[in-house]
Amino acid sequence: MMKKLTWKHLSFVLMLAILVLLPFVNDSRTLIILLTQIFIFGILAMSYDILLGYTGIVSFGHAMFFGIGAYTTAVMLKQVDTTLSIFLLSIVVGMFLAGIVSFVVGLLTLRLKSHFFAMLTLAFSGLFLVVAEKWRSITYGNDGFTFRAPEMFKDRITFYFFVLACLVVVFIALYRFVQSPTGRILIAVRENEQRTKSLGFQTLHYKVIASIIAGTVASLAGSLYALSLRFVNTSVMTMDITLDALLMTIIGGVGTLVGPLLGAAVIEYAQHTLSGMARDYPIFERWIIFFGILYILAVIFFPKGIIGSIRFIISNWRRKLKAKRKTPPALSHEKEGFE
Amino acid sequence: MELIVNLVINGLATGMLIFLLAAGLTLIFGLMDVLNFAHGGLFVWGAYAGIFTYMYTESFLIGIIGALVAGAILGLLTEKFIITPVYGNHIQQILITLGLMLVLQEMIKVVFGPNGVSVKTPSYLAGSWEFGDVIIIKYRLFIIVVGFVIFGIFQYMLKRTKIGLIVRAGVQDKEMAQALGIHIKQVFLYVFMVGATLAALSGMLMAPYSGVIYAEMGMEYAILGFIVVVIGGMGSFSGSLLAAILVGLAGSFMAYYVPVLSLAVNMILMAIVLIFRPQGLFTIGKERST
Repeated sequence: MMKKLTWKHLSFVLMLAILVLLPFVNDSRTLIILLTQIFIFGILAMSYDILLGYTGIVSFGHAMFFGIGAYTTAVMLKQVDTTLSIFLLSIVVGMFLAGIVSFVVGLLTLRLKSHFFAMLTLAFSGLFLVVAEKWRSITYGNDGFTFRAPEMFKDRITFYFFVLACLVVVFIALYRFVQSPTGRILIAVRENEQRTKSLGFQTLHYKVIASIIAGTVASLAGSLYALSLRFVNTSVMTMDITLDALLMTIIGGVGTLVGPLLGAAVIEYAQHTLSGMARDYPIFERWIIFFGILYILAVIFFPKGIIGSIRFIISNWRRKLKAKRKTPPALSHEKEGFE
Repeated sequence: MELIVNLVINGLATGMLIFLLAAGLTLIFGLMDVLNFAHGGLFVWGAYAGIFTYMYTESFLIGIIGALVAGAILGLLTEKFIITPVYGNHIQQILITLGLMLVLQEMIKVVFGPNGVSVKTPSYLAGSWEFGDVIIIKYRLFIIVVGFVIFGIFQYMLKRTKIGLIVRAGVQDKEMAQALGIHIKQVFLYVFMVGATLAALSGMLMAPYSGVIYAEMGMEYAILGFIVVVIGGMGSFSGSLLAAILVGLAGSFMAYYVPVLSLAVNMILMAIVLIFRPQGLFTIGKERST
C-alpha cells in the first residue's frame, strides 16, 4: 500500500515537473494557450466528476456555475479596476455566488430522482442563460464584451503558471475531499442511496454538499476561462460547456480525478487539431459528430472511460498474479477495494 | 376581446405542437421508463425531412408523410441501437440519449446545410378568416384541429382497443404483462416508434408555423416538451395535453403582456410544479416511483 502510494506520488511530481519546466523549453504561444485551456477545462471536468462520478447524479446545469464565475470576473475587471487584487477578489466573489446558487438549486432539486433532476438543472441553466442575454446593461447580451487583464497576467506564461497552480491546488483539495469521510458517503450514495439512508445518513445534505463544491470549483474554472480569453459572452452559459465537461469526464473516466484531466487533454487537443484540419477537409468543421459518436460508443462499451478501463485491466492482472502465488492476503485485498 | 381570442388561439396552436412532442415522451417514459433526451433530434429531423419532401414534391401532404416515415425509421434505429443496450440504467440512458441528440443535431447541418431554411405555408392553409374584429389565421386553426384529432385517436386507441390495453397494462406493471404472455420488448419498440413519429409530425407542423427551421430548434422545443411532461405528470397522456395547453397559453399571454418573462415563465412553472408536486399536476391515482 505504502509503496504504491509513493509510486503514485512520484508520477504526479514528475508530471508536474514536466509541466513546470515546459515553458522554459518550448515557449510556443499555441502550445501554452492550449495547455492553459486544458488546465481550465480540467478543473471544470473534475468539478463535474464530483457530481457525476462520485455522487452519481447527472446535472445538465453545470454551465451556469461556470458562467457565474466567468461573468463575475469579467464584470468586476471591466467595471471596477484591472488590478490583481480585484481579479483575486472576483474569483472569491464568483465562488461565493456560485456556492449560494448551487445551495439553493441543490436544496430545491436534489430531492428529485435522476430524470427530474437532470431536467430541472437544464431548466435552471436555461434561466441563467436568459438572464445573461437580457441583462444587457451589465452583460452586453449575446455580443459580450472585452476587458483588460491585470498587468501581471498580460504575459501568457505567468498566466500559465497561475492556472497550473490553481489546478494543483484544486486537484489536491478535491483528492482530500473524496478521501474524507464525507467523500466516502458520497460514493455510498452513488452505489446505493436507499441503503445509505437506512444507515442513518441524511443523503440530501451530502448531495447538497457535493453540489456546492462542484459549483464553486466550476466557478473558479469560469473565472480563469474569462481571463484567458479576456472576453466573455453568453456562450459561457450555454449547454455546450456542460456537454464539454460531460464528454471529458465520460471519456477520461468517471469516478476518478485523473480521468477528467486526461479527458480534458484529449478533447481539447482533438478539438484543436480537428478544427485545424477543417481548413482542408470541411467535414471536420462538424467535429462534434465525431465526439458524439465516440461518446455514445464510450457509454455503451467503456462506461468506465480511459482511466477506469486501465485500472480494471491492472486490477485483473494483479488478481491473476496473486492467484498464481496462491497467497490470499485478505487484508490487502480489502484495502485495494477502497481504491 | 379580439386580442384575447387571438392570444388564446396562438397559445392553443403552440400548445398542440408541444403536446405532439410531449405525448411521445410521456408514452415512452410511462411504458419504458426511459427519458428520451434525443426527442428534440427526432423533432428536428421530422421538420427537415418533411419540409425537404414538401419542397421537392410541392405537396404538403406528401411532406407530412415524409416526416412520418423519417420519424418512424429514426425511432426504429434509435430504439434498436441506442436504447436497448442501456435499459434499466437511468444515468446511462440520460447520457446516451443526450449524445444521440448531439449527433442528430449536427447531422442535420451536414445533410441539409448549416443555415436555417425558410418555409412557406401551403396556399390552401395560408391566409385568415375574419369574424368582425376577430382574425383567425387558418394554419393555427389547422394545427389545433390536428392536435385534437390526434389526441382523440390516441385516447380511443389507448382506452378502447387491444393494443391500447396492452400498452396500459405495460405502463402499470411490466413484469405482470410479460408473465401474461405479452412480448413487452416488441411493444416497447412500437411505442418508441410511435413516439418518434409524433415528434417528427410535430416538427413538420411547426415548420410553417414558425416560418423557419434550423438545427438548434430541436433542443429548444425538447425543453418545452420536458416541461410539459413534468407538469402533466410522467406517463400521463391526457395530463400532457392539459399541461401543453397550459404552457402554450402561458407563453402566448406572457409574450404579449410581460415579454421579458416569456422565456422564463415555463421554467418557473416547471420548477414550482417539481418542488411542490413532483408527480405532476394532472396525475390521479398511484404515484409512479421512478
